[in-house]
Amino acid sequence: MTTSLQTFALLAPEIALVVAAIIAFLAGAFAGLRSGWLVALLGIATAMALAGGQPTGGAVSAAISIDAFSVYVRWTVLVLGALLALVLAGDLFPAAVSRGNNVWRGGTCEEAGTFLLLLAGLSLVGVAGDLVLLFAGLELVSIPTYILLALKRGDAHGQEASLKYFFLSLVASALFLYALVCLYGIGGSTSLAAIGARLRSTDDAIAGITTVLLPVAIGMAMAGAAFRLAAVPMHFYAPDVYEGTSPGNAALLSTLPKVAGVVVLLRLLGLAVAGPVQAAAVGSGAIAYTTLFWQLALALAAITMTVGNVMALMQSNLRRLLACSSIAHAGYLLVGVAAAAAAASTGVTKGGLMADQGWTQGLGGASATLFYLATYALATLGIFAAITYLGHRWPEWKSGAGPRPPREEIGTVDDLNGLSATNPVAAFAVAIFLLSLAGIPPLPGFWGKLSLATSALEVDWNAAITFGSRRAAFVALAVLLVINAAIAAAYYLRIIAAMYFKSTKRGVQADGGISAGLAMLACLLLVLVATVKPAGLFRAASRAGGSPAAQVVASDLR
Amino acid sequence: MNGISPGTHLLLVIATPLVGAVVAWLLGSRGRHAVRQSAAVTAIITLVGAGWLLLRYLQSPEAALGRPYAVISAPWLVDGMFDVRLSLGLDGLSLWLFGLSALLSLTAVMVSWEAIEDRPVGFYVLLLVLEAAMLGVFAARDVILFYVFFEFTLVPLFFLIGIWGHDDRRRAAIKFFLYTLAGSVLTFLGLLTIVLWNASHTGSVTFDIDRLTAGMAAHPLPMSREGGWLQMIVFVALFIGFAIKVPIVPFHTWLPLAHVEAPTGGSVDLAGILLKLGIYGFLRFSLPMLPEAAAAAAPWLFGLGVAGIIYGALVALVQTDLKRLIAYSSVSHMGYCVMGLFALEPVAVEGATLQLVNHGLSAAGLFALVGMIYERYHTRSIANLGGIATKAPWLAAFFMLFTFSSIGLPGLNGFVGEFMILAGSFQRAWSGVSTTWQTAYLTMAVLAVVGVVLGAWYMLWAVERVLFGPSREPPRGGQAGMHAAGHGGHGVHDESTTGGDDLRWYEFAALAPLAVFMLWIGLVPAIFLQPSAAAVRAAMQPGAAAFAERMEPERPKAALVVRLP
Repeated sequence: MTTSLQTFALLAPEIALVVAAIIAFLAGAFAGLRSGWLVALLGIATAMALAGGQPTGGAVSAAISIDAFSVYVRWTVLVLGALLALVLAGDLFPAAVSRGNNVWRGGTCEEAGTFLLLLAGLSLVGVAGDLVLLFAGLELVSIPTYILLALKRGDAHGQEASLKYFFLSLVASALFLYALVCLYGIGGSTSLAAIGARLRSTDDAIAGITTVLLPVAIGMAMAGAAFRLAAVPMHFYAPDVYEGTSPGNAALLSTLPKVAGVVVLLRLLGLAVAGPVQAAAVGSGAIAYTTLFWQLALALAAITMTVGNVMALMQSNLRRLLACSSIAHAGYLLVGVAAAAAAASTGVTKGGLMADQGWTQGLGGASATLFYLATYALATLGIFAAITYLGHRWPEWKSGAGPRPPREEIGTVDDLNGLSATNPVAAFAVAIFLLSLAGIPPLPGFWGKLSLATSALEVDWNAAITFGSRRAAFVALAVLLVINAAIAAAYYLRIIAAMYFKSTKRGVQADGGISAGLAMLACLLLVLVATVKPAGLFRAASRAGGSPAAQVVASDLR
Repeated sequence: MNGISPGTHLLLVIATPLVGAVVAWLLGSRGRHAVRQSAAVTAIITLVGAGWLLLRYLQSPEAALGRPYAVISAPWLVDGMFDVRLSLGLDGLSLWLFGLSALLSLTAVMVSWEAIEDRPVGFYVLLLVLEAAMLGVFAARDVILFYVFFEFTLVPLFFLIGIWGHDDRRRAAIKFFLYTLAGSVLTFLGLLTIVLWNASHTGSVTFDIDRLTAGMAAHPLPMSREGGWLQMIVFVALFIGFAIKVPIVPFHTWLPLAHVEAPTGGSVDLAGILLKLGIYGFLRFSLPMLPEAAAAAAPWLFGLGVAGIIYGALVALVQTDLKRLIAYSSVSHMGYCVMGLFALEPVAVEGATLQLVNHGLSAAGLFALVGMIYERYHTRSIANLGGIATKAPWLAAFFMLFTFSSIGLPGLNGFVGEFMILAGSFQRAWSGVSTTWQTAYLTMAVLAVVGVVLGAWYMLWAVERVLFGPSREPPRGGQAGMHAAGHGGHGVHDESTTGGDDLRWYEFAALAPLAVFMLWIGLVPAIFLQPSAAAVRAAMQPGAAAFAERMEPERPKAALVVRLP
């Protein structure tokens, strides 16, 4: 395995991000504090420009694979990164650095640099074709997250949040490392392509190894991914951490780690199949692998979305509520993963839907997950951007009743009361985001749920729905999905009702920084574009979902 | 306007309210009067456009066969297996409901003329968006597009109820939204299953309703143990969503709350149009696409329809709140539509289709009148009302007319629909194959006739208490400000005299069109039955055939033949 110049060329966007990170770190010492986020935005723009000039698929180097999947992931990361940079730049910072009277509330240069490293790591996870690079990428996501969480708040809640996240994340990383070790044990190589080839081989020797190692590998990998997705059983940290940290950090936590979780799961699932994910797994090892995969993903999906929604129904704190909502959405994402794994374990092309017509390309589970991920991330990010932008509300205070109490940060659902009157634009944007999350047509969330439900219903299409069959399980999962969507509407509507149906005497201050407001508007624009013309994103997700298979490279096969 | 193609014409009609909503929003700074004027103008333009389109349709060769007209289609989400299209068109099933949407939207705007003082811009914008969604749902020829409009109607109505409703509006809005959403998500899965089944058998993934209907006729979903009763499962999934919309007892509990709390304009649209979506869904999807399951469920749903008639009527009888009484009368009247639909007799199904329009006119009219009474006397309690006829003779006259229409007085529209439904039901009973079925159907049909009597009882009793007798309502004192501003052409109405209680010009504008159509349908029903007859028969034919097949082993004993013009 040699690292060629070509590899560097293919990784140009990530390298640009790292360079920008270094500049941002240094800029803090020389230029003003504001420069950090300017550098970040410029760095992301450069990375976008470089990514635009990249091959869109097929280019494979030893340790990295540039396929439609990683291109989709990279663009998701860059777009979300740009929006998040705007949010974080305006994020409230209680331990504000004071320069005389000129209090700069936004994030510092250190934060900007750390954030850029995080983006680079996440993008690397998408292109990783090697276990080592995969793990390195994931750690490059985790470690900056610890720093960002710890930098944000000095109070007890903030410390609790960052410590909780830190320790749990370490556990999750360790578990995931176990999974990688087991995969190495199966494949005898760190290359995903080589492991995949070994897994799919019809060699009898593989059977003995896999019976022990496979369950451990999949279980551990799921646990590691579940932490990043905030899925059951690694979900419980989310409400506390979201509540304890700033809205901007909560925006980050609710989007980027989920991208990492989905990417890791789909990459590992892709090991079992030679072609697109829809293609059939070959070999007893690969079939055992995908079977375990869908069973576990299905169970987790069913439990996660229900648990998340039921928990969310009971929340009154806005950030806790959104944390529970993000748990529920992790469950929806897993529906697509489960459907993709089930399809891979038999192969949709064989005896599946439209078999006679030679239909191979459709929006399978993997594509549905990727599509849903984008719609979810945009809407959630938009809400947190709005909360960041709104910042504080005026306290209850009558003139002559003593000194004016300090401003109150927007924390509970009730704090949004009457927002439609005090800040109609923000109220409208948040309402649209919430309705999209609830899956109300024709907003993008609806298209996402449409594709997820379709992918679940497609599994074993020609089999009868009999009790205990896999088809019945997936039909039940689809039913659970839509019922959960209806349950979720209950708490989303509560927020809308607070904004539109209640009145308040205390206006919001909208002191969270104009850049967060811009991010909110940008999210709104993207959501509306995806409402009217979902086809573009759909097509990209559809292509991407077909390709996270392990690419077979001649040099990797011994 | 005849120069433009019918498809463009249809698109323009649906787009007009949206354009009007933008205009109303832009006029927001000019004050309430400018906004409501622009909304009224928009509603009138839409109504004229829709009426014109219906006339063009009736003159077209497609009308005789009830075939789709003004079809227009553009890709929306076309990729891989998905082929979702923005596909619109009218046919025999949808044309009158389409027209009714345009008509009642004008009523909804006019009844809100003075009633809405708080945030008028938002109100009229939402009302116009709702109008576009209602027009769209009846014109949709693509399953996903239908579902999009079907669900989207919830959003504007949610805000209309939640912001401009009465005391318990927040709970009502949320309950209404969640209840209907919970049902329709299952409908969504059912529709998706139909699409996938069709795709796996015909090889083309289409969401086009016509092609799906044809595909399901050629490859019906299995209705046997080996097939896992899939057709029945899908039927039940569709049923839950549609039954909640209708609402069929016992899925009706959201309705009285939503109606009582909704502003009058919202009630008009809710009772007049949105309740029709359930029956329309059965007629558009369940009967043609899942005929065997529909046939198997038909006797039970027929019974549920009758139960709804009786239950709604009995509950309406004991109401003390006038608006709640009308709401329960809606439950009762929609029971007739359910019953007529699942009688699976051509006459009854045609009657049910007509009854949708009839109920839309009478219920919307009655809700509008209740709103006007509330605006005058600030009470809806029957005990606090009385003798309105002496103070507001025009209002009382309209109330009487709408009541007569509602209880099915011959010569008015309600009679035609109810008669056809009952005639068809008795026909179904007589053609019953076994004595057991015959007895069961006869009993239910007779109970439905009892329901007619109950309907007359609670409505006329309410009319007696509210319109006649000694005056009981509080004087309208303190309300002078509500209509102090001058509007052209109604200077004669002065609130200082007794004539001040009577209808204003905008209230006439809201009610008169409804009255015209009530008389028109009542006197010449054939005009309205003819264009939809072929499509209705085509829609119910598979279900009726499947029903006949289920009953095949035994021969019919007698048949009552009913022929209508």
